Amino acid sequence: MNTPTRREHADPGRPEGDGQDLANLLPQVARGDHQAFEIVYDRLAGPVYGLVRKVLRDPAQSEEVAQEVMLEIWRAASRFEPGRGSPISWAMTIAHRRAVDRVRSETAAAQREHKVTTGPVTGEDVAELVETALDRQRVRRCMGALTDLQAEAVKLAYYGGYSYPQVAELLGVALGTVKTRIRDGLIRMRDCMEVTW
Amino acid sequence: MSPRRHDLHLLTGAYALGALDGAELAGFERHLARCHACAEEVRGLAETAARLALATAIEPPSRMRDTVLAAAARTRQLPPPGRTLIPLGTPRPGSRARRVLSRSGTGITLTAMAAAIVALLVLQTATWHQLQATRSGSRAVAAVLAAPDARLQSSVASTGGTVTAVISARDHEAVITTTGMPVPADHKVYQLWVIGSSGARSAGLLPASRAGATDPVLAAGLQPGDSLGITIEPSGGTSRPTTTPVVLMSARA
Repeated sequence: MNTPTRREHADPGRPEGDGQDLANLLPQVARGDHQAFEIVYDRLAGPVYGLVRKVLRDPAQSEEVAQEVMLEIWRAASRFEPGRGSPISWAMTIAHRRAVDRVRSETAAAQREHKVTTGPVTGEDVAELVETALDRQRVRRCMGALTDLQAEAVKLAYYGGYSYPQVAELLGVALGTVKTRIRDGLIRMRDCMEVTW
Repeated sequence: MSPRRHDLHLLTGAYALGALDGAELAGFERHLARCHACAEEVRGLAETAARLALATAIEPPSRMRDTVLAAAARTRQLPPPGRTLIPLGTPRPGSRARRVLSRSGTGITLTAMAAAIVALLVLQTATWHQLQATRSGSRAVAAVLAAPDARLQSSVASTGGTVTAVISARDHEAVITTTGMPVPADHKVYQLWVIGSSGARSAGLLPASRAGATDPVLAAGLQPGDSLGITIEPSGGTSRPTTTPVVLMSARA
């Protein structure tokens, strides 16, 4: 049995001497290459599980949904289109949608427990066993460059899985205000982290 | 820029975070197809969101790896986009298969299959967004998309009504449904044939029509050059066609 070797990836999309870009691996996975999928699993399962945990919070549900997401990555690998975005973005979008679908389908927003944290993203309520150090530092630093209101709106929408009208209601502000805070906040993050694609 | 369009442009962030729903989501996706600037911005913001996601990575339970790898070993994959698809099952020659099984082994009821075929006519090539939006998509339709290479073909029958075949060249199989064909008189039945160089082979009887549509019937073992035909035969069917086909289509398998 293979024990997964944990690797520290500054960016799971890029190789670290063991080989290939996710962008090269996904087409191989699409052709049914199980070994390629194992590599993809080792790179993406941590981010997928972490994001799902952040949104769903419940560990058992999170494991279930994260499994579904990894299986979907296997199943739909042929649908990754390099021109549309990075492999990470593709995979994290699947993960985020599944997690949000699960939350939205199961609970009415009013009943959902939510935490409005105005500090930097720390994951303090989540066990951190994998350090993607550079990424975390950068996100932390750049999230700190947002206004509290922007960070709050972004986190509620992304990690809370709320629709933006729900965010507006939770925060007691106008729809337009939320739209703008989210967009401005993300643009600031994008520029701060020098996101390229 | 009209106020409305300016408003739409402001939704790029919300969209990138998955915070749009329902009609607004659909409307914005339509807008994205037309607005290059928005599409570009969405792409960058979605990448940004992905970086947010990366920063919250946690090592999953080790059992998850085995579970996922084992599940992958028995899960079929979607083919590349650009093909319209129907799941086709194991051939059961001479029988009116009551159930058409997808290759993954999950049974798909005939009604779901018929619905999937209808859905197929409406769906164009699915983008990966649509594929992943399993929110409201039925499992039957999702299974339809997860199928081997196949194409849709339809013909008008001489009796009136339409015969639709979904044909997989790779699997040498076709699934046939009909709509609007009149119920034959005198207890006669519609019979499906695979017609090749060595003659006509029965692929079974079309089930009795329900609300003017017949449930899917599978024809297997199609060879290049074969045609599919439907004739009206006495109750119980025959071993060879006795009448001129009311519809004939090349299977191009």
